[in-house]
Amino acid sequence: MSMRTKFLRLALLGSVVASLGLDPALAQEPKRGGTITVATVGEPTTLDPMVTTADLVGAITMHVFETLYTFGDGLTIVPLLAESDPIITDGGKTYTIKLRQGVKFHDGSVMTSADVLASFDRWKAVADRGKTAWSYLTSVTAPDAHTIELKLKEPYAPLLALLSLNNNAAAIMPASNQANPMTKYIGTGPYTIKERRPDQFVVLARFPDYTPRSDKPTGYGGRRTAYIDEIRYVPVPDPNTRVEGSLSGQYDYADSLPVAAMPRLQGQKEVTPVLQKNFGYPTISINNKGGLLTNMTLRQALFAAVNNEDMLKAAFGSTEFYTLSGSLYPEGFRFHTKEGIEAFNQNNPAKARELAAKAGYKGEPIRFLTTTQFDHFYKIALVATETWRKAGFNIDLQVVDWGTLLTRRNNPALYEMSTVGAPFLAEPSLTFTAGSERPGWWSSEAKDRVVGAFNAESDPAKRAAMFGQVQKLIYAEVPYIKVGDYNVLRAKSNRLQGVIPSSWSYFWNAWVDK
Amino acid sequence: MIGFLAHRLGDMLAILIVVAVMVFVVVRVLPGDPATILVGDNASPEAAALMRETLGLDEPIPVQFLIWARNLLRGDLGQSIFLGEPVLTVLAQRAEPTLFLTLMAVMISVLIALPAGIVAAVFRNTVIDRAVLAFAMMIASVPSFWLGLIFISTFAVAHPWFPVSGYGAPGASLAERLHCLVLPALVLGLIKSALITRFTRSSMLDVLHEDFILTCRAKGLGEWAVIMKHALRSAFIPILTIIGLGLALLLGGAIVTETVFALPGVGNLVVSAVLRRDYPVIQGALLVIASVYVIVNVAIDLLYALVDPRVRLR
Repeated sequence: MSMRTKFLRLALLGSVVASLGLDPALAQEPKRGGTITVATVGEPTTLDPMVTTADLVGAITMHVFETLYTFGDGLTIVPLLAESDPIITDGGKTYTIKLRQGVKFHDGSVMTSADVLASFDRWKAVADRGKTAWSYLTSVTAPDAHTIELKLKEPYAPLLALLSLNNNAAAIMPASNQANPMTKYIGTGPYTIKERRPDQFVVLARFPDYTPRSDKPTGYGGRRTAYIDEIRYVPVPDPNTRVEGSLSGQYDYADSLPVAAMPRLQGQKEVTPVLQKNFGYPTISINNKGGLLTNMTLRQALFAAVNNEDMLKAAFGSTEFYTLSGSLYPEGFRFHTKEGIEAFNQNNPAKARELAAKAGYKGEPIRFLTTTQFDHFYKIALVATETWRKAGFNIDLQVVDWGTLLTRRNNPALYEMSTVGAPFLAEPSLTFTAGSERPGWWSSEAKDRVVGAFNAESDPAKRAAMFGQVQKLIYAEVPYIKVGDYNVLRAKSNRLQGVIPSSWSYFWNAWVDK
Repeated sequence: MIGFLAHRLGDMLAILIVVAVMVFVVVRVLPGDPATILVGDNASPEAAALMRETLGLDEPIPVQFLIWARNLLRGDLGQSIFLGEPVLTVLAQRAEPTLFLTLMAVMISVLIALPAGIVAAVFRNTVIDRAVLAFAMMIASVPSFWLGLIFISTFAVAHPWFPVSGYGAPGASLAERLHCLVLPALVLGLIKSALITRFTRSSMLDVLHEDFILTCRAKGLGEWAVIMKHALRSAFIPILTIIGLGLALLLGGAIVTETVFALPGVGNLVVSAVLRRDYPVIQGALLVIASVYVIVNVAIDLLYALVDPRVRLR
């Protein structure tokens, strides 16, 4: 072939790619092999996917352990180890779930319904979400080796979301490996745990016998292919070190970077900043069970005074990193609605004083817990405290470490408010804010009615419409104060391709371009 | 000598018993508990209570202390709540980076400080002396995390000669691991050198005014021999104390530096254990650190006798 025809062919190929609207970089074929290093914010507290709600643990272990269902694009619920959507009968009280056949565990055994039953038992014993699910379940049985049947006391729509989450996960493990505490990490995922050296690394290696689904990838679901040989998670507690390591090329992926690092990450040859929009929302959680704020009028008074924009600005800097939004779910989510949000960001100290007087508030101290361990919580608390003090509230700001905050938060006698974060979970009923058994302990007659109806409805479309009423009630009764939505900054090396931005970063279907 | 050692051993035992009791009490008095942290921030109080039971933390504190003390006498420091390994194993893993980092840092600090301190003393009240003192003052005032980040961005990012952080990939050779320690050791060594420089200078100045130095000079010894052989040897005891204390302190973990460089050392371990309330690890680590401190002190006392024949151990 002459140079000229070669050139023509190349040009032609180029125009075909261009006419298909494909970015040449995206059109690249995934490659097998390579190792990546992922810098995390710290050491995972455990590698047992069931015992903790910690995001970091879930994000690592979801490569190793799988659940019956998971979240697809737009946080829809799609089957993973289940073959298909459940067959729901008996007015929403019986779920029949077909399992995929021939799925192999890391120990070589093949998954059957017996493993699922044993895992459900363990989930009930060690996982908080498992206990929640089992408070609705009356029985879980296996009609045959590839089917399970769940029976419920009453219809409970959040069930499938509970079976899909990667933290406190209903992970399926072999019936023969159910020890608590967990000693061997055996799941069905595309990666196995190869080595853990605490505070140094957790190494995941490709599971060669992984049994992928055949449907195309959607969110965390669909076909999972492990192109990368090894994923090394390294804990790097100092955020600035995570930035430097991304710039030097030592990390291929780094989580949770300071927003001030954005300009340094832009325009680099080897690394790209990744902005994960709508990562979550910080809130000021209110104790509805003990202390002063059991008085709803006083809660409304505090709420009237807050200035959300000031809090967000202090915590996240520019609007590139936050959204001033009162909707409990951002635009694009199924549960997004504007119902009731006129009460958001009132910034009205006069109204606050008036309501406080009506509530009979006489300057008693209001205990507010926060921590400097998460910088944005601390800044939010500082701004909120000043705003409230100006409106005449006596705020006792208690700055403690995260461990202390978590423990005190469990005791309704010890505090009135605390700063906490929340992710946008696919199921609103699973956030701490809605549960009456979790810190916050929101409970009222109206809540029982509105949230009860919402949980009993199994049709997703109807539920989306009903959520407006839930949100409206939250703005009326003020069981907690939403601060706003925030984005998280990450960095990705340019040799790492095919990573789909998501709340919990995953690396199956991603590859290394050598 | 043997009497001295027996005496110090007795002291050490007493100190360790006090440390053990204090550590246990302080750790349990701290608000927060490992169970709440382990189950995560979205779990219910019931889940935390159940976890407390699983971990044996629902027992009365005196009972927990007796169980711990009994195991301690058997040489068992217990099991880490979060890491799933015995405390001794965890500590042994962390000992290597901390030990090497300490040795490198102390070496660097002595290499900088001794010459600098001696030169400053010999040329006291000159421009050289003032320059050395000013530099030492500046280095001593620099926060270690800042110096660490500056070193990282200069010697690991702009000029990628060293890794940014960590202690080598899985299977890294000793040379690779030591390579990871160069930057943190430089940070620590530089900062430590400031204090040693000042001590060397003042200690040398004291000695240089002594009569025996005059005698040395009078009998015609060269200036080099006077300073290095006679003055430095006499001036060395306080310097040795400072070096030794720095060594003991570093063996307990260079907390800030280890965090900035994400080194899996003892300091990093203690901080993360405190933050997640890993009681057995906090207790075990503090006991071991206290023992190291006492042992290093005894070793320094022994060294005094070698350096200065006037010192007799009793």
